[in-house]
Amino acid sequence: MDFTFSREAKALRRMVRAFVEKEVAPIAAEIDREHRVPLGVMRKLGKTGLLGVCFPQEYGGMGAGEVGYCILMEELGRVCTSTATNVGAHIGIGAMAIHVDGTEEQKLRYLAPLARGEQFAAFGLTESNAGSDAANISTRAVRDGDEWVVNGGKVYITNGGYADVVTLIAVTDPALGARGGVTAFIVESDWPGFEVAREEDKMGIRGTSTAELVFDDLRVPHENVLGKVGEGFVTFMKALDMGRLTLGAACLGGAQAALDWSVAWARTREQFGTQLAQKQSIQWMIADLATEVEALRSLVYRVAWMVDTGQPFTELAAMCKLYGSEVASRAVDMAVQIHGGLGYSRDYPIERAFRDARIAEIFEGTNEIQRIVIASRIFREHGVRISP
Amino acid sequence: MDFALSEEQKMFRAMFEDFSKKEIAPVAEALDHEETLPLTILEKAGRQGFLGATLPEEHLGADLDFVSYALLMEALGRDCMSVAVSLGTHVSLVAMSILRHGSEAQKEAYLGILAAGGDGGRDVRLGAFALTEPDAGSDTSRLQTRAGMDGEEYVIDGVKTWVANGEMTGLFLVFAEAPGGMTAFLIPADTDGVTVGYREPTLGLRNVPFNTVYLEGCCVPAANRLGEEGDGREIAEAAGERMAVTLGAAALGVVEDSLEVAAQFATERVQFGVPIAEKQAIQNLMAESTVDAEALRHLVYHGAWQVDRGGGLGSVGSVVKVFAARVAQQVTNRMVQVMGGYGYMEDYPLARKYRDARALGLIGGPTELHYVRIAERVFAGRDVAITP
Amino acid sequence: MRILVILRRVLDPAGLVAHARLRRLFINREEYLIEPGDHAALEAALRIKDGGGAEVVVVSGQPEPDDDTLRRGLAMGADRAIYLSGAGFADADDGVAAEVLKATVERLGGADLVLVGMTRLDTGQAQLGPRLAGALGWPQIVGAWSVEIADGRIRAVRRDGDDYVIVETDLPAVVTVPAKALEPRYPDGARLINVYRGEGGMAEAVLQWDVADLMDPEGLVPLLEGRGRDFPPERERGVRVEGSIEEAAQAVAEALRGRRPG
Repeated sequence: MDFTFSREAKALRRMVRAFVEKEVAPIAAEIDREHRVPLGVMRKLGKTGLLGVCFPQEYGGMGAGEVGYCILMEELGRVCTSTATNVGAHIGIGAMAIHVDGTEEQKLRYLAPLARGEQFAAFGLTESNAGSDAANISTRAVRDGDEWVVNGGKVYITNGGYADVVTLIAVTDPALGARGGVTAFIVESDWPGFEVAREEDKMGIRGTSTAELVFDDLRVPHENVLGKVGEGFVTFMKALDMGRLTLGAACLGGAQAALDWSVAWARTREQFGTQLAQKQSIQWMIADLATEVEALRSLVYRVAWMVDTGQPFTELAAMCKLYGSEVASRAVDMAVQIHGGLGYSRDYPIERAFRDARIAEIFEGTNEIQRIVIASRIFREHGVRISP
Repeated sequence: MDFALSEEQKMFRAMFEDFSKKEIAPVAEALDHEETLPLTILEKAGRQGFLGATLPEEHLGADLDFVSYALLMEALGRDCMSVAVSLGTHVSLVAMSILRHGSEAQKEAYLGILAAGGDGGRDVRLGAFALTEPDAGSDTSRLQTRAGMDGEEYVIDGVKTWVANGEMTGLFLVFAEAPGGMTAFLIPADTDGVTVGYREPTLGLRNVPFNTVYLEGCCVPAANRLGEEGDGREIAEAAGERMAVTLGAAALGVVEDSLEVAAQFATERVQFGVPIAEKQAIQNLMAESTVDAEALRHLVYHGAWQVDRGGGLGSVGSVVKVFAARVAQQVTNRMVQVMGGYGYMEDYPLARKYRDARALGLIGGPTELHYVRIAERVFAGRDVAITP
Repeated sequence: MRILVILRRVLDPAGLVAHARLRRLFINREEYLIEPGDHAALEAALRIKDGGGAEVVVVSGQPEPDDDTLRRGLAMGADRAIYLSGAGFADADDGVAAEVLKATVERLGGADLVLVGMTRLDTGQAQLGPRLAGALGWPQIVGAWSVEIADGRIRAVRRDGDDYVIVETDLPAVVTVPAKALEPRYPDGARLINVYRGEGGMAEAVLQWDVADLMDPEGLVPLLEGRGRDFPPERERGVRVEGSIEEAAQAVAEALRGRRPG
């Protein structure tokens, strides 16, 4: 066993941290306040190659693997959850779907510009009646010669408002349902019939775009079918597995930042004649959280290593997301408590972190869904099939 | 023992709920976004007698018992915790401090105006409570604000932060270090040397103005001293106990309404073919939260009943405050989870309630400080030194 | 057009804690930076490469062969890296280092331009560029905020007080660059990974030359000798002035009067 980061990983982290401190940290408060997606930063990330961190070099990527991708997400999560979310939706699920099941032509045509940040991706799964129950989708695609005609809509699509390329799934055979009747497609947002219907007003991650998309006779060439016809759900679940792991990595960064702020403040702030750091109430909070953060770090990077070494990891990715989001929420809650009024004020980053952290327990499959994924894998080994 | 509300209290409750549903609920979201508490609402509350809720009739009050007053706070808390906190500050912290500790002349001079929300004009004014300082958050034993005697007048200098109702007040209750110890002063807002400064941009409770207040050579006659020199600590502690129950009641309201909203959502939201209310995971979240809510209800009413009986609450105030803060934060958090993505959107009320509830762990003394007070009771008479 | 850029590594001062009472410097976190002036010099070289093409060679003599300094240079876009191994260069003073670098330039078959940081972050030494120019017998420009190549000549902008001065000289030349002159670019992600994995031709891009092969060991005798470190004397504590504004002003005035020389 060897738990050290390679020199390559350390060099990547140093590069990412330098980028994040200089480009992302200064705008994090502003994009939250102004409800603005930091497109300039996203393009710059693309120019350095970081948006292709985990994709192969022949498709414009860096080839740094899942460990590299987790490092990127952890460092982004440390400073700006909105930016981490934009990047996660772009790389981790939107482009990832093409990476996992795209053809050579699709990868050259779509993945390469996505990896270089020349275009941005979104992942179109959720519908108003298919949130956690992702199999219940009703967006319909009907074959018409060499094309498919898509009708329906998606909601709560991260990056939906500005994505150039959207990977989406639609029902192609209602009789078969999720098993064999759902197909994934790559669509371009400037095609006729693709419309952004509205943007959501969210409590946190306000530097992201969460959009409702409507498809009205959207014609998609057959060559843009992603994976096999009827097996879109499989493609999407594979992408989601990756997304969940790296969401856990972003949560790790957020939790670490909350811990760092709290330690710094406990060292500075004096009440009742001593530093807060001298009070056991505070020490216990810090100790408990530091323990959780370390446990999360080990989990995240172990699973990343499993991905890079080709081992199965589905339920472990669900654990990263479940545990990561809860640790991050507890961490920022603690940071608010230790900072008192400062933690409740929008003048300081903790308040933003508190609003931002909460989403991770909800999106990319609510934590309840993660528990179902984990439990069903465990019970399956014991011959019990559970339905959600 | 009798745990039933009297007929009169039931009638009041219906009236409070009616007022809150009619006047506050429809505008609560807008008020949160605009971060204002409009005078029209205060005027209406004043006409109902709410601004002098617990004051005797001779001072234009509604002469409510504290349990009924708690029912008022609960009703307001259901629809808008901000309004409850503003009114609670006005009544529990300011008006009742004068009622309990003021001279006849002071009661005559101030209570009528406070109960009417002004001196008859349209300019509705609330009372504001100025205790916290930049370096005295939890630790109010080290106030930097000084009150020196100059002939018949006190000259007060200092800076107060997080003054609730700061910019909409007509009367500050200010705590300062006088020659005889910590002392409370009534300082009308138009006194020379009083400047209302920065308003904290807060995570929640966005209609409550929390301001920094500067006192520079601020002269008030000795007649404006509340109680004797050195009584300040006792006055602040008694006010804090009443506020603990007040906040507890508001917390109860926010908890009840969150449960209600989420229960309705869970009934309507269908996933995996059934309303999510039929899922055990959701049922458990609701059940656990209901247990908390019921326990909080009895704790709050009990605390209020004890205030009515006179005498100090002692550590019961702290118990109410700690439990209320914990329950309000946990339940709103769980209900956000029940609602999933909808809980995170600012178009639905849960996000606001979650942001508002987080304040309860901080305002009125952080949980950790109340633990110290409770520990003092636990170890009373055992020769144990408890230092915060 | 061949540009040689010297990359030295310095300890990141953010990881250092100075303990005044113990008169000691503690290393809390041992991390190394590319000397910021050298980093800016590499950026200047890469801009010349971007503009009209050039071969950029980075050279370093850091103590360990697998150190990050040269790799960072390659990841940013340098074409080749020379690692000067063996005793004599890494800790050499500027006088000796200039001789080693002169030998390096000769072994390389010449260069058109040598770029190096103006002043070292850690020691404050600023002689490497000028001494190297002296050793090579080339013209030099000290403190260039920007560098351009035109018609076989080099043109640089220097600061003189509040003024900008444009200076020119013939190639080959030595130019020193201040730390804040240019914002170094981020490494290229894919290059970074290839450099560390030795893929994509990156393994072949690194040459290792032993200093002992480059020159006579007699030339490696240092000109400077270190005789220990010391801290500046502790500053006198200030005095807190109490009382009203008038009293405070009076007290400050008296204190100043007491200090007036003569």
